[in-house]
Amino acid sequence: MIRLDGISAKKGRFTLADVSFALDQGSFGVVIGPAGSGKTTLLEVVAGLLIPRAGTLLLDGVDARRLAPESRGVGLVYQHAFLFPHLSVRENVAYGAADAATLEEAAGRMGVTSLFARDVRGLSGGERQLVALARALARRPRLLLLDEPFSALDPRRRAIIRREVRAMHREWGLTTLQVTHDFAEAGMLGDQAILLDGGRVLQSGTPAEVFRRPASPYVAEFLGAENVLGGIARDLGEAAPDWIDSASGTFAQGHRAFAFETERLTLYAVGDFAAGAGHAVIRAEEITVARDHSHDSARNRFAGRVIEVTTLGALTRVTIDVRGTPLVAALTTRSASELGIAPGLAVVATFKAMAVHLC
Amino acid sequence: MTPGSRLGPRVLSVIAALAGSFLLLFLAAPLVELVGTSGGEGLRRLGSDAELRDSLLLTALCATTATLVGVICGTPLSYLLARREFPGRALLAAVLDLPLLIPHPVAGIALLLLLGRESAVGGAALELGLRIVGTPLGIIAAMLFVSAPLFVSGAREAFAKVDPRYEGVARTLGDSPWRAFYRVTLPLARRGLLASSVVMWARAVSEFGAIVILTYNPKVASILSYDRFTSYGLTEALPVAAALALLALLPLSILRALRTESRSER
Repeated sequence: MIRLDGISAKKGRFTLADVSFALDQGSFGVVIGPAGSGKTTLLEVVAGLLIPRAGTLLLDGVDARRLAPESRGVGLVYQHAFLFPHLSVRENVAYGAADAATLEEAAGRMGVTSLFARDVRGLSGGERQLVALARALARRPRLLLLDEPFSALDPRRRAIIRREVRAMHREWGLTTLQVTHDFAEAGMLGDQAILLDGGRVLQSGTPAEVFRRPASPYVAEFLGAENVLGGIARDLGEAAPDWIDSASGTFAQGHRAFAFETERLTLYAVGDFAAGAGHAVIRAEEITVARDHSHDSARNRFAGRVIEVTTLGALTRVTIDVRGTPLVAALTTRSASELGIAPGLAVVATFKAMAVHLC
Repeated sequence: MTPGSRLGPRVLSVIAALAGSFLLLFLAAPLVELVGTSGGEGLRRLGSDAELRDSLLLTALCATTATLVGVICGTPLSYLLARREFPGRALLAAVLDLPLLIPHPVAGIALLLLLGRESAVGGAALELGLRIVGTPLGIIAAMLFVSAPLFVSGAREAFAKVDPRYEGVARTLGDSPWRAFYRVTLPLARRGLLASSVVMWARAVSEFGAIVILTYNPKVASILSYDRFTSYGLTEALPVAAALALLALLPLSILRALRTESRSER
């Protein structure tokens, strides 16, 4: 288990400030943040390579200030691998290996056994990352720290290795903390997401929670929410029955109904927000597009006109002008084609009150 | 672009080439002339001139000893300067550069003050039976003083070029700080350290100003060459000077070999 409480650290001009979160034994945490947000610095603090100026770091309940990096049972993989250039691939993987069997297993599962005789200077970026992963795993660490470890792998290999790392994490009971700037990866891998920016934790929780309920408009935009609207929320009290999420059939405790008024639109939302100025976040995939006022239970319904259509493989993003406010919806390309979506087309955009997150 | 506007850069290129060639000729011509006219005679004298032979051997031995001391004491210091931030680091670096900035006879006088028989250090050494001034120890001290800063500076750069994250990874793989230094940092900085020690050795071999104050006799090659010149004239000084110049080519060849190896490994 890792527990950080008010950790502050300085590396050059960069400062990690008051970072707190906990990761249970055997769970997979993902640190998400833009470049320069302090993700790598955070891993170095946990690894013991950077001494915090303040705060407490507990590793399996032990105050880590008393533990040198070599005594922490960590495996660290940097994005740029940092393979030892004076050693062969095999010597790199064997550098801190727990035993011969673990070395063979780690190398085999990362697919680097065939590279053993190679000089590390001749490896591609992806191969380097695989060797670095094998080297860290061969030590059989209790805590695995990964800094964008799949970034140089091709998409096919990335999917395979991601799966393999996740499997080893489960089988070996590894507590894992991975850094990424890719929220999709965080969703695929993580039990817990920690959002970092400017050296501070902006939000932490399960990836689904962070994704669905961003703590601020900045977080929402960072996580790729397309529709973030400023306005004022008015408390409507207890929500009407038809507002209840049909999937759960219940209304979460403490949640209330709100009318959220932007400059031109009034949206209906459900949540535990305090009334007043704020932001409404609606993810593009929550918005349904139809050519007429079809009858569904969605509380929010706006007529508008398509102004932009962008097709990205199986998905199509449609920007709809609703009384001067652009709303972005994500449709499957097949649906968009069936609906004949094209710029200028009059459509109706609908979404549930539950799909509007106020922050 | 008009023909006139192209002329400017061309003229500048010609001037730059001429200036560079002038400096190259100025630096190389005297040495080429010296080795060309007296190199053969210098090598022949090694067989017949015992004083020259002894002098060259003394020079090489003292320079090697000074270099070993410089490497042993300078390596931790240069690592510290390359890796750690601490108050007074800039001051320490400046102090280490001082011997490079002061005239070498002045360095010799300063060393004489510190190590002479009247000084506390020199007196204590004498009581232990160690005479520094006027002995090979004085030569080594003078060589160490003037050349060690070159090693420290080069070694510091060599360590700085090794990304500390290599050490970090080694630590997470179970190495203590010393073990990570020995297994990772040292091998990665090896070429830079070797090149710096070669430069230090070469500088020690060529030292004159500080040695002449501290230990005129026994004579190192630079002092023998000066002595032959003042006592017997240019003709007698030339073979000694040429032999010393040839000795100086040795580190140059090592440095070139190191650079070639380094390039081929990139």
